[in-house]
Amino acid sequence: MLEAYIQAYNDAVFETDKQTALNVVNQALQNGFSAEDIVFKLVIPAVEQMMAFIERDPDANLAQHFMTAQIAADVTEKMLEKFSKPPEMVGRVVIGAAYGDLHSLGKRIVSGCLKSLMVDVVDLGCNVSAERFVDAAVAEQAQVIAISAMMVHTAIGENGSLKVRALLKERGLEDRIKLAVGGAPYRFDPELYLKVGADAWAADGVNAAKAIVELIREVKP
Amino acid sequence: MTPLQILAAAQDGSPAPRIPVFCNLLDQGAREVGLPPQRYFSDGAAVAEAQLRMQKRYGHDNLWSLHYVGKEAEILGCREILFAADGTPNVADLVIKSLDDIAKFEIPADITQTEAWQPIGECLSILAGEVGATHPICAYATASTTLPAILMGMDKWMELFLLGPFDLRDELLRKCSDFFRQQIAALRAAGANVLVYSSPFGSPYFVGRRQVETGVLPWMRRDLAPGGSDGVVYYCGTAPFNEVIDLVFAELGITTYYLGPQADLAEAKSLIGDRGLCCGTIDDIRMIHWTPEQTRAEVKRIIEIGKPGGFFLFGTGVMPLAIPEANIREMLAAAFEYGSWQ
Repeated sequence: MLEAYIQAYNDAVFETDKQTALNVVNQALQNGFSAEDIVFKLVIPAVEQMMAFIERDPDANLAQHFMTAQIAADVTEKMLEKFSKPPEMVGRVVIGAAYGDLHSLGKRIVSGCLKSLMVDVVDLGCNVSAERFVDAAVAEQAQVIAISAMMVHTAIGENGSLKVRALLKERGLEDRIKLAVGGAPYRFDPELYLKVGADAWAADGVNAAKAIVELIREVKP
Repeated sequence: MTPLQILAAAQDGSPAPRIPVFCNLLDQGAREVGLPPQRYFSDGAAVAEAQLRMQKRYGHDNLWSLHYVGKEAEILGCREILFAADGTPNVADLVIKSLDDIAKFEIPADITQTEAWQPIGECLSILAGEVGATHPICAYATASTTLPAILMGMDKWMELFLLGPFDLRDELLRKCSDFFRQQIAALRAAGANVLVYSSPFGSPYFVGRRQVETGVLPWMRRDLAPGGSDGVVYYCGTAPFNEVIDLVFAELGITTYYLGPQADLAEAKSLIGDRGLCCGTIDDIRMIHWTPEQTRAEVKRIIEIGKPGGFFLFGTGVMPLAIPEANIREMLAAAFEYGSWQ
């Protein structure tokens, strides 16, 4: 029944037209759908459709990725206030830009999509040390550490993902905490994530959220 | 023929012994002259010395006056750059921290008088004196629609660009375009003869084709209006842009296109034809882990696609420091071998 709304919502997102997307959501609310329906039957299926689209068409542009995440996160945040009871969260991720890296767009796209998929996101910001990633993941009981690196040296350097992997191993956390990476260097070399000790990667921020949810499901009972 | 003549021959389709071969060695310079990055990049003479030494050792055609992209932010008031021993310097202090800062943001009346410009001016002066008559001297200038990303962060800029407030967005774009105009004129005057116009927002990979046409192209036109497109190279920061090549030809008159490694080179060659110069680039991130043999095979593949019919240049991205020297040497040896017309 929400198919038409999903289509109209995604058409607006595809055109990076936030206002029209919000109008679609408001129209659905006015027509009697609950906040839970909006999130679980409109926003999440729409994000999943967009993930599939972006995966099929790697030419989907960065603005579309950004708007997919921003609109979905905004709508979800507003709808959560109207939920009759708090939703069950899928899991928790700590996310940040690698040590020495000050780029924030990638993690913002990933975070937006994750929030709309009912994942708790703990954003550690930029230039995050390996120790801080691991300490935060333990303290927050996160299932996944997600590291964004937009520069080659922050992706492959010894203070980035490689060190997080070493710390997870040293502290016996590898079964409890998985490691995901993303960012421009990984797009150029799809095998690079293995070389830096990560469990998963994705070519774009939207599908990174999907990869992270899969990792959460691997470790969460 | 000198490298500059070989480049000119590739641009107009006249005979030459080989295709031009560009290799962008930027971060390698500090190691070359044995200085820590921060000291190296503050010394224009050191940057020039490193460029001259590396060009002599490896034999590629071009030299660079670019220190690092964050220099533009420094000219515009950035007070902190995060230097790294193993990679590219990074802007650590955003000039525009909130939308309120846009009104206060000012372009210097003469950027060549700023402290941050001095090493660039010094470097260019040395390079122009030493090899200006014989070699391509590359300079880098960020388009007005992309410059805000290093002033306020890419995510904040993407948000302002797409969602507004549009009066503020346009005010910032106008200021950035004014800066671009000053900068490209200063680079030309100081001796740069290859002007890399970095315009990632001019790629449909960043924003849709319609947004490129309506939201980016008018600003690119404004950027380039005073000095024209002579010597200008269209570059979208390794993002693919085949879809807008015809548009850029028609609207901006740029005739040299520096593709990213993931672009469809055969398609770009056919789109550009004999109207201009197409640069095919190697994936230099994969070069970090390739063997010399793999590097050679990839150079051969690229040149076999790009060279037939001429109007072709072989180039690199920004060559990460982690690339083994053996791969740099093999890449260049292969480029000269397969790029030969003799």
